[in-house]
Amino acid sequence: MKITTALDSTSLTTRYPKTALATTLFFMLALPFLLYVVLLLMLPFNQPETLDAVAKRFGWDLGHSPFRDTWYGVILLVEATIVSLYTAVFAGVTTWVERRIAGRMQSRIGPNRPGVFGFMSWVADAVKMLFKEDLIPAEADHLLFRAAPYFSMVGLTLPFVVLPFGESVIVADLNVGVFYVTATSAFVVVGILVSGWASNSKWALFGAVRGAAQVVSYEIPAGIAIMVPVLMAGTLSMQGIIRAQGGWPWQWFACQNPAAFVAFFIAVTASLAEGNRTPFDLPEAESELVAGYHAEYSGFRIALFLMVEWANMWIMGALAVTLFLGGWQIPGVSVETINQTRGPDVLPSLTWFCWEFVSLVVFAVKTWALVILFIWLRWTLPRVRVDQMMSLCWKYLVPGAFACFIFTLFWVMVPASVHLVSGVVISLGAALLLVKFALRTRKNIAQVKGARVDLSNW
Amino acid sequence: MAEPVERRILGRMSPSDEEIVINFGPQHPSTHGVIDFVTQTNGEIIRRSIPDIGYLHRGLEKIGEMVGYPGYMPFTDRIDYLAAMLANEGYAMAVERLLKLEVPPRAKYLRAIAGELCRISNHWVAVGTMASDIGASTPLTHALREREAINDLLEELCGARLTFNYARIGGVSFDAPEGWGEKILRYLDHLDSYVQEWDRLISLNQIYVKRLAKVAVISREKAIAYGLCGPNLRGSGIAWDTRRDLAYGAYPEFQFDVPVGQGKMGAVGDCWDRYAVRVLEMLESSKIIRQALAKLPEGEIMAKVARKPKPEAGEAMGRVESARGEMCYYVVSDGSENAYRVRVRTGSFMAMGIIEEMSQGLMIADLIALIASLDVVAPEIDR
Amino acid sequence: MPETVRNYFGAITDVVQTFWQGLSVTLSHMLRRPITIQYPDRTEKRVADMLPARYRGFLEVDMAVCTGCLACARACPIDVIKIAVDKDPANPKQRVITQFDIDESKCMFCGLCVEQCPTSAIAHTREFESTVRAVENLVFRWVPDAAKPAPFYRPVKGQDAPRAPVGSIMRVYLGSQVWAAPAPAWAVPAPGKDKG
Repeated sequence: MKITTALDSTSLTTRYPKTALATTLFFMLALPFLLYVVLLLMLPFNQPETLDAVAKRFGWDLGHSPFRDTWYGVILLVEATIVSLYTAVFAGVTTWVERRIAGRMQSRIGPNRPGVFGFMSWVADAVKMLFKEDLIPAEADHLLFRAAPYFSMVGLTLPFVVLPFGESVIVADLNVGVFYVTATSAFVVVGILVSGWASNSKWALFGAVRGAAQVVSYEIPAGIAIMVPVLMAGTLSMQGIIRAQGGWPWQWFACQNPAAFVAFFIAVTASLAEGNRTPFDLPEAESELVAGYHAEYSGFRIALFLMVEWANMWIMGALAVTLFLGGWQIPGVSVETINQTRGPDVLPSLTWFCWEFVSLVVFAVKTWALVILFIWLRWTLPRVRVDQMMSLCWKYLVPGAFACFIFTLFWVMVPASVHLVSGVVISLGAALLLVKFALRTRKNIAQVKGARVDLSNW
Repeated sequence: MAEPVERRILGRMSPSDEEIVINFGPQHPSTHGVIDFVTQTNGEIIRRSIPDIGYLHRGLEKIGEMVGYPGYMPFTDRIDYLAAMLANEGYAMAVERLLKLEVPPRAKYLRAIAGELCRISNHWVAVGTMASDIGASTPLTHALREREAINDLLEELCGARLTFNYARIGGVSFDAPEGWGEKILRYLDHLDSYVQEWDRLISLNQIYVKRLAKVAVISREKAIAYGLCGPNLRGSGIAWDTRRDLAYGAYPEFQFDVPVGQGKMGAVGDCWDRYAVRVLEMLESSKIIRQALAKLPEGEIMAKVARKPKPEAGEAMGRVESARGEMCYYVVSDGSENAYRVRVRTGSFMAMGIIEEMSQGLMIADLIALIASLDVVAPEIDR
Repeated sequence: MPETVRNYFGAITDVVQTFWQGLSVTLSHMLRRPITIQYPDRTEKRVADMLPARYRGFLEVDMAVCTGCLACARACPIDVIKIAVDKDPANPKQRVITQFDIDESKCMFCGLCVEQCPTSAIAHTREFESTVRAVENLVFRWVPDAAKPAPFYRPVKGQDAPRAPVGSIMRVYLGSQVWAAPAPAWAVPAPGKDKG
C-alpha cells in the first residue's frame, strides 16, 4: 500500500495540461487583449462629434438630447475603468515577470507550477489575499488604517488615464498631461504617510517618514529632468511630446540632445526613488524595517499596497518612454501615414485600427523593456542609506538636472540638423555600449570554471 | 525574584522627548537568529543599542554533564551549526587532552580538511547574509549555491549536511570515500575563479562599499579590550590566528597567510574590513585544503578509546579557530563517565559585548551592517 | 578644490562602473542553469536513490542479525531507542527481543548507535520521507508484535553477519505505513525496566 502524502500528488498543471494552457493563455493574452480591444473601439467616441454621428446612425438624435453630456461622461468613465482594471492586471503580470526573472538571476527558478510557466501564480496570490483575515491592530487608528491603501490607489490609477498607449489610444489627452502625471502620482506618498502613522507601530512610522522624505526630495530632480523633453517639444501634452519625436532611435529625444540623454538617466533614477524600488526601497527595507510602512497590513490591504508599487513601475516606465524614448512612434511610419488611413467615414477604417494596435505594441514593448530594467536593477543592487539617498538627490541629481535644463535652453536654438547628428551619434554610441555589455556578460560566464550558458530547468 | 531582563535594559534607557525605544527583534530578518536589540534612537541616529540575548538558550552546557563524553559530540554541532566540523574538533581536542590521547595523523588531516571546508561554507553564509542585510538579495542565493557544493561534499564524507557529528574522541568517524579528493579539488578550482565574480557583483559594488566603509570602526585597543576574536579581531588589524599562533592538529604543516584588515575602503576595522577578511579567508582555506589533500597520510582514523571513556579527574581546554573566532571548550572531569562541567566560549558571545559601545551614533542601517559584519549567530551566543 | 572635484566626478564614474559590472553579472546568471532540483515530481530518480551511500536517514534494524547487546540503546545520547529483552518461554537458554522501538521523531540522526553495532543490524538508510498524521506513529517498531519476539543472533566467528541490503527492510516498512493511521493507545512504561 503506497503512502499518500502531499509530496506524491502531482500538480494540477501536470494532470490537466490542456486546461492549464487554456487558462494561462486566457489570462496572459486574451484578457489584456479583450481590454485593449474594448478600449480601442471606444476611442473614437472620445470626440463628442463622433458620438453624435454614431448615435444618429442608430436613429438616435443624441445631439439635442439633454443627456448627451451624461452619456459622454459615462463612456469616458467606462474607458477609465477599463484602464484601471488594466493596472490590476498589469501589476499582477509584473509580479510574475519579476519573480521569474529574479529567480533565474538568483540561480533558482521562480514559480513554475500554477499554470503554464507559473503564470497563474499571480492570480492565485490575488485570490489568496482576498481570503486572508483582515487584521487591524487594536491600537491603530481604524479609519485612517483602512483609508490609507486607497490614497495610494488614487495616486496609482489617476495617471493611467493620460498615458499614451498608442497613436490615439489615450483616455484623455490633456494639454498638461506631464504635469498631471507628476502631480497625481505624488498621491502615493499620502498613502504611505497615513499608513505609517495609522499603524501605531514605530517600525511603520520609520518607514513612512523615510518614504515621505524620499518621495518629496526626488520630485525635484524628476520634475526638472522631465522639463528637458518638454522644452524640446514645446508642449506639456503627452501626445504632443511623442509627436515631436520619431520612431527610429536617432529621432528619440534621449538621443537628439546629449543633455536629454543624461536627463533620461536622472529621470529613471528619480523614478526608482519615487516608486520605492531598490536601491531606494528604504521605506520598506525588508532587512531593516521588516516591511516598513505596510508592516501591519495583511490580506487585501497589503495586496493594494503591493499593487501600487508594481503598477507604479509601469507608470514610471511609460513616462520615461513617452518623454525620452519616442513613445508609440513606429520606426519608419510617420503619423501622417496613420492619419491618412483613417478614412472619411465617422468611424475609422480597419487599417487605422491595425496601425493603432501596432503603435500600442511598440509602446508596450518599450515600456516592458524599462520595467524589466527596473526589475533587473532591484535584484542586482544593495540599498542606499538614508543620508546617502538624500545626498545623492541634492548633491548630484538636482545640480545635474539643472545643468541639463540650462543646456537644453540653448540646445533648442540650434538648427535641426545638429539635432539629427547628435541623434545618430548618441544612438550609435548606445548601440556600441550594448554590444560591449553583451560581450562582458559572455565573458562573465567564461571566466568562472564550470559555468556555461544553459537555458534549461524551467 | 530578579528583575526581568527587559526592564533592566529598559531602565538603562533614558529617552528624551524626541527619542523612542524600539526593539530590533527578536523576530527580525537581520539579527542572525533570535536576538533582541533594544535601541534608543533619535530619528535615525541611535543613542545606544543593548542586545538582549538568551532567546535561543537550550542548556547545551548543562547537557554536557548528562550524556557522557562521546554522546556530547552531536550537541557540539548545534552550538554552531554553520561551522559544525570546527565545533566538533574543539570538543574532541579538549577530551583528548583529558584522556592524554594521541590522534593519528590521518585523522588530524581529515579534521583539517573537513574543518576548512566548513569554514568556507560558513563564510559563504556570512558574506551572503551580510549582502542580503544591506539590501542585495541576489548574492545571498549565490552564496548558498556555492555552499551547496560543500554540503554535498561533506554529505559524501559523513552522511549529513549540517550537523555532521564527524570528529570523535580520538580521531574521526569516517574515512574519505573514493574520489572525494578529486571532487574537492574540482570545487576549489571553481571557487578560486568564482570569488572574482563575487567581488565584482557585491564586494566592490560602490553602493555596498559606501554602506560599509568607515562604519563602526573598531580600533585595535577596543578589539582586544572587548575580547573579540577571529575575523572580527583580524578585521581590526591584529594578526592573531589560533591555527598559526597556537597551532594544533595538522595545522603546523600547512603554509597559509592570515588576512588582516587594511582599511582599503575607508578605515582599518570598519565593517568592510571585517567582510573582506572573510572573503580572503575563504581563499586561504582553499590553499590549506589543497595542501592537506596533497600530503594526506595513510593510516588509521581512530585511536583506541573505551566505549564510555572515564578520564581521571582534571580539567582541559581545547582551543580551535572556529569560523566565527576562537572557540574554547573547557571540560572538567570528576572521574565519572559524565563530565563535571563543559564550558564553551564562543566568538559570537564576545562580539555581543561591543555592540552597545559601537552603536552609539550609528544610524539604524549602520547597526544592521555592524551586526552583520560581526557575523554573530544566536546559537553560539545563547548555547 | 580639485580634490573635491575629482571626488565628485570620481564618485559618479565609480557608480556607473558598479552598475555596469553588477548588471552584467546578474544577466549572465540568467543565462546559466538554476541549480534547483524540482522535487518531488521532476527528478529522474527518487531523491532517496540519488543520495550518497553514507547518508544518515531513518534507522533500519535487521532483526535477523540483532545480537541483543543493547550497545545502540546505550550509545544514544537522547534515549531514542527502547529495547526490551526477555527469555524465550519455549527455550530458556535462548533470549529474545520483545520490543525494539526507535522514535524517529526525536532521533537526531547522529549515527552514534550505528557505530556501536557489532553486526550492522542497525544502520542508517537513505530514506527520509515519512509523514504520518499522528506523531506517535513515527516510532518505528521493529518488533511489531511482542508475542512474536526476535531471537538474539549468535555471530559466527570469522563470518560477516548475513544482513539484508541496507534500505530493503525500510522500503517495505515505509510502504506499509498508512498516513491516517490512528495513534497507538499510550501505555505507561514500566518504571526502571525500559531503559535499554
